[in-house]
Amino acid sequence: MLTLGIDTATKVCAVALCRDGQPLAAYEINMGMTHSEGLVPQLEQLFTRTGINKRDIELMSVSIGPGSFTGLRIGLATAEAIAYSLQIPLVGVDTLKALAYNIPVEGVLLAPILDAQKGNYYLALYEWKQGKLYEVESVKVVTGGELGNILLAYMKPVVVLGEYAKITDSLPAGVTCAPKTVSMPKALSVAMLGMEEHLGKENKKYFGLEPFYIRRSEAEELWEQRQKNLAKSDE
Amino acid sequence: MSEKDIYILGIESSCDETAASVVKNGREVLSNIISTQILVHRKFGGVVPEIASRKHIEHIMPVIDEALKQANVELAAIDAIAVTYGPGLVGALLVGVSAAKALAFANDKPLIGVNHLEGHVFANFLAGEDLKPPFLSLVVSGGHTSLLVVEDYNTFKSLGQTRDDAAGEAFDKIARYMGLQYPGGPEIEKLALQGNKKAIEFPRPMLPGSNDFSFSGLKSAVINYIHGLEQKGEEVPKADVAASFQAAIIDVLVKKSQLVLQATGLKNIVLAGGVSANKALQDALASGAAEVGARLIHPTPILCTDNAVMIAVRGYYMYKNNEFSDYTLNANPSLQIGNR
Ligand SMILES: [Zn+2]
Repeated sequence: MLTLGIDTATKVCAVALCRDGQPLAAYEINMGMTHSEGLVPQLEQLFTRTGINKRDIELMSVSIGPGSFTGLRIGLATAEAIAYSLQIPLVGVDTLKALAYNIPVEGVLLAPILDAQKGNYYLALYEWKQGKLYEVESVKVVTGGELGNILLAYMKPVVVLGEYAKITDSLPAGVTCAPKTVSMPKALSVAMLGMEEHLGKENKKYFGLEPFYIRRSEAEELWEQRQKNLAKSDE
Repeated sequence: MSEKDIYILGIESSCDETAASVVKNGREVLSNIISTQILVHRKFGGVVPEIASRKHIEHIMPVIDEALKQANVELAAIDAIAVTYGPGLVGALLVGVSAAKALAFANDKPLIGVNHLEGHVFANFLAGEDLKPPFLSLVVSGGHTSLLVVEDYNTFKSLGQTRDDAAGEAFDKIARYMGLQYPGGPEIEKLALQGNKKAIEFPRPMLPGSNDFSFSGLKSAVINYIHGLEQKGEEVPKADVAASFQAAIIDVLVKKSQLVLQATGLKNIVLAGGVSANKALQDALASGAAEVGARLIHPTPILCTDNAVMIAVRGYYMYKNNEFSDYTLNANPSLQIGNR
């Protein structure tokens, strides 16, 4: 199954092609360039260089979040429009799970983290068992300070990956930082994981996915806070 | 041999409407799908950019799908994909731009980045069947107030614009100050119907010798008037305030338009932008234009507010002029009219 993967959840702009279990091509840029300008040109070059006809794609896989809200929407709008045009199914894969997929090693706890702004991080925990990736702890938003204790509580060797650069120094001993080469989102992981998750499922959707924001917009949070305060002052 | 029919798919997501449309030969509307977010933003008193973007990504593909289905045109039969790339909210614009670029790429179709304001002007080609450049356009929206000469289908010259608040912005701010619900423009218009427009003499800033506009002084005068009454504990005659304020803005817009019509000798003036839906403005500008021997054309109500028909129509003329965008097209939140 020829699968196209897209990941624009972080500063990395990544596109890749795989067929069944076989990686074919990947084009990833980690230079802070705008996704909006670069994503479709990158796709175009991917197909030109591989000589693969885009009309032969059978599955569209996109990194759905958590991540930058705008980045997620650029990736999803692009993926949906391609899936719709080619009438192929679309799968959304968890950005953190796709990161853990970069390191297929058993016996360690994989802790992908992404910057959630203002000192906060998105964190989830995964573990490989018999060649399959399992979620140990679902995603939550934690502060950089809390992270170390959360990881220590598992009493297991932990490998952090993703956007850990700002908190490397505050991580406790026993927590290893993954090499940078496997720390950034990879569209190949998105494509392969998307294909795995798609197999055996009745999925004929071209669109209708929603980014995995986790957090509501600031305006909604403020509004709700105001309503609560109003309710209190009424008492 | 007759020329081949041209089908343009238009896409619009610059503010709080997600819209798509198929237009044939720049004149025949085959579909006009609009998913509005007005109710979503109402409790916040205005458009919340992040919420707008979230609604756009939810609706963009269903709206495009519906536009194609209703037009009964397959993607393969579309000649080009036209999309608003500015001005507007950047996050909102990016949803439409990303979808449009991917559609163009996946279907090997030309991509056309359209200026939203030029789209508003071009909506008038569907209202006046015989409308041809050159003509004058009064662009009045939440972000813009300008007098623009449309010299030909692809050349626009701005003669004047607002130096501070746009006309629509003044409407919205006064509406909010008066506690009216979002969007404020239509609420003021409704309220004004029950008021006396001569009740309060608000200033009419004319900026003699210039074609520019300035509405912030008028806005302050209205706010001071309301505030003054409130201080004295007197009741604010809301309907009279709305009517008098609206009359002041309309007076300025009409007089300035008349001056430019006379100076340029143009015989047609068109209304464009969200405020063009205001019936009192339409009526006053129609008679004002007639006084100086010109004719007013304005879009039908559904094409006054944001829609994708106008983007497809503008796209059609750019298609004819071989003005295409490449896949690096980005959103430009502060795009100026005439800049492409
Ligand atoms: Zn508009």
